[in-house]
Amino acid sequence: MNQFSAHVTKNREIALDYYELSFIWSADNTPEPGQFITLRCGTGTAPLLRRPFALSSYNPETKTARIIYQKRGEATTLLTAKHPEDTIDIIGPLGNGFPAPSEGSRPVLVAGGIGLGPVLFLAKAMRETQTPPLLIFGARNRYQVPLEIIEPLSASIDIAVCTDDGSQGFKGTAADYLQEHCPEHPEFFTCGPHPMMKAVYDLSRTCRARCWVSMEQIMACGVGACMGCAIAVKGEKPFARVCVEGPVFDGDAVVW
Amino acid sequence: MSTIKLQLNIGTKTLPNPVGVASGTFGYGSEYEKLIGLEHLGGLYTKAVTLEPRPGNGIPRIIETPSGMLNSIGLANVGLDAFVRTKLPYFKTLKCPVIVNVAGSSADEYLRLVEALEEFDEVWGYEINLSCPNVKKGCLAFGSDPAQVETLTASLRSRTAKPLIIKLTPNVTSIGSIARGAEQGGADAVSCINTLLGMVIDIRKKRPVLQNMTGGLSGPAIRPVGVAAVYNVARSVKIPVIGIGGIMTASDAIEYLLAGASAVQVGTGTFVDPGIPEKILSGIETYMKEEGLADMGSFHRFIT
Ligand SMILES: Cc1cc2nc3c(=O)[nH]c(=O)nc-3n(C[C@H](O)[C@H](O)[C@H](O)COP(=O)(O)OP(=O)(O)OC[C@H]3O[C@@H](n4cnc5c(N)ncnc54)[C@H](O)[C@@H]3O)c2cc1C
Ligand SMILES: Cc1cc2nc3c(=O)[nH]c(=O)nc-3n(C[C@H](O)[C@H](O)[C@H](O)COP(=O)(O)O)c2cc1C
Ligand code: FES
Repeated sequence: MNQFSAHVTKNREIALDYYELSFIWSADNTPEPGQFITLRCGTGTAPLLRRPFALSSYNPETKTARIIYQKRGEATTLLTAKHPEDTIDIIGPLGNGFPAPSEGSRPVLVAGGIGLGPVLFLAKAMRETQTPPLLIFGARNRYQVPLEIIEPLSASIDIAVCTDDGSQGFKGTAADYLQEHCPEHPEFFTCGPHPMMKAVYDLSRTCRARCWVSMEQIMACGVGACMGCAIAVKGEKPFARVCVEGPVFDGDAVVW
Repeated sequence: MSTIKLQLNIGTKTLPNPVGVASGTFGYGSEYEKLIGLEHLGGLYTKAVTLEPRPGNGIPRIIETPSGMLNSIGLANVGLDAFVRTKLPYFKTLKCPVIVNVAGSSADEYLRLVEALEEFDEVWGYEINLSCPNVKKGCLAFGSDPAQVETLTASLRSRTAKPLIIKLTPNVTSIGSIARGAEQGGADAVSCINTLLGMVIDIRKKRPVLQNMTGGLSGPAIRPVGVAAVYNVARSVKIPVIGIGGIMTASDAIEYLLAGASAVQVGTGTFVDPGIPEKILSGIETYMKEEGLADMGSFHRFIT
């Protein structure tokens, strides 16, 4: 983990209110799929706290890292105004990434909305190593599907796009799709809205498969110091910090 | 060219410089060791330690507010035993003073904590967090009654010769008289302010955002409150005052010093940029050179 000032190389809208930001990575460690950074989006006192974003790709040759973010409030709106040659204040890589899938399992990657970034990063990493994964992406409608980012991957992995209104691909949620098309011996890797992840986890229970979930919580420090990003977990301690014990958790450990 | 003295005496010991990091915002230090040089800190104030481990409050625990944040962490910490076993060995390796922030729900708990930590040289001193509710006295915060503060401070004083800093809550009517209670009880310094009581409501869910309903407000939004509290307290006591609340820049820190503080702590600011304490220290040095100020006391002659 380092704090560094990174040069922005690209920042472009890839779907309605979804952006992809590319920047030069200069931390000592290379990031793993599932890990995140915190970014100071403004310079003044509002918005104040750094914002966490999962990495969506890393190219070791060009040392370029990326995030995919949704324009939501003040901080992400400020982020959309970054141009090439601007610098951004980054701390990372943070947290624990996704584990390697167990042997003989078919990785099923399920992303919803802003959960796309870490899942894409994982899909790209898996493409080179093991059984090609199945990637399922759910969005509200076709305007929120960044096709040009997802499509290039379809040459090497199976991809299913789902929209709530059916305007692109399967009509229904990613979990609905899974109900109908779950492959044999799945192992789930998921990031997205809480209800979606819970649905995927519930499904993993019925087919007795492992399920890895990337959790979200509001963060202040991002490094394990403030105890602010707690989520409820099973076991000895009632809470775990998303920023250091996560963001990726075994679905069985989470109190849903 | 005269030399600048950044050191500050607190009781029998000396802080190397006036910029420390505030309790609860810097964990136990190790969390930040890869990001900044801890040796430059003029004091590392630990997360509060309680006798028993505390899991902390329900979730969510934090929310951003205009130029600030609200937290209800609930003194989540590993408890005294684990603190001694797992945290103290790390403090031994540090070059900066480590001040242990102590919290309890009864006077007895505070005393037992200090007694248990006395033998360890790596504990430079104590900061007594008086914002906790006293369960034996109707859960009113310890820090809201000067007599109670004086008695507790005197009991603690009889158990330690190490620097004893009493941390004041701003959620009281007269912070100056609370500070006087601490001084009369034998405190070596007072620090202020702790967080201000606040609430944020989600108007769609029609309930408070924090599970605990209310929380403690910190960050730049509270800075003027902190500066006024320091101004008030510095005129009530002769012991050093350590200013806390919303410090993000050297000029913020200098406001506190001019108001009567002899040192400061940075809390929420390090969340925003862990490099802030070091930048503030060098900014204070530059200011002292520019303004011809020789030591921390020399800030105090301007505002009377
Ligand atoms: C581990 C992790 C990874 C994330 N990865 C991504 C990602 O890849 N792409 C993406 O678009 N978003 C991601 N997020 C969410 C992202 O941090 C928020 O969208 C962003 O903080 C919104 O800030 P804002 O000021 O624009 O919106 P605001 O209006 O301030 O907030 C909108 C929502 O964002 C969340 N949020 C606000 N402040 C924080 C904070 N300090 N910490 C965490 N969440 C906050 C809250 O849920 C809030 O309701 C991630 C969050 C976490 C915890
Ligand atoms: C997340 C968080 C946790 C805190 N925990 C403690 C604590 O354990 N003990 C304590 O005395 N003060 C605690 N505080 C208060 C700070 O030490 C400080 O007094 C306050 O935040 C004001 O300073 P700031 O505006 O620079 O953050 C905490 C503050 C925050 C934001
Ligand atoms: S954000 Fe501070 S502990 Fe996780």
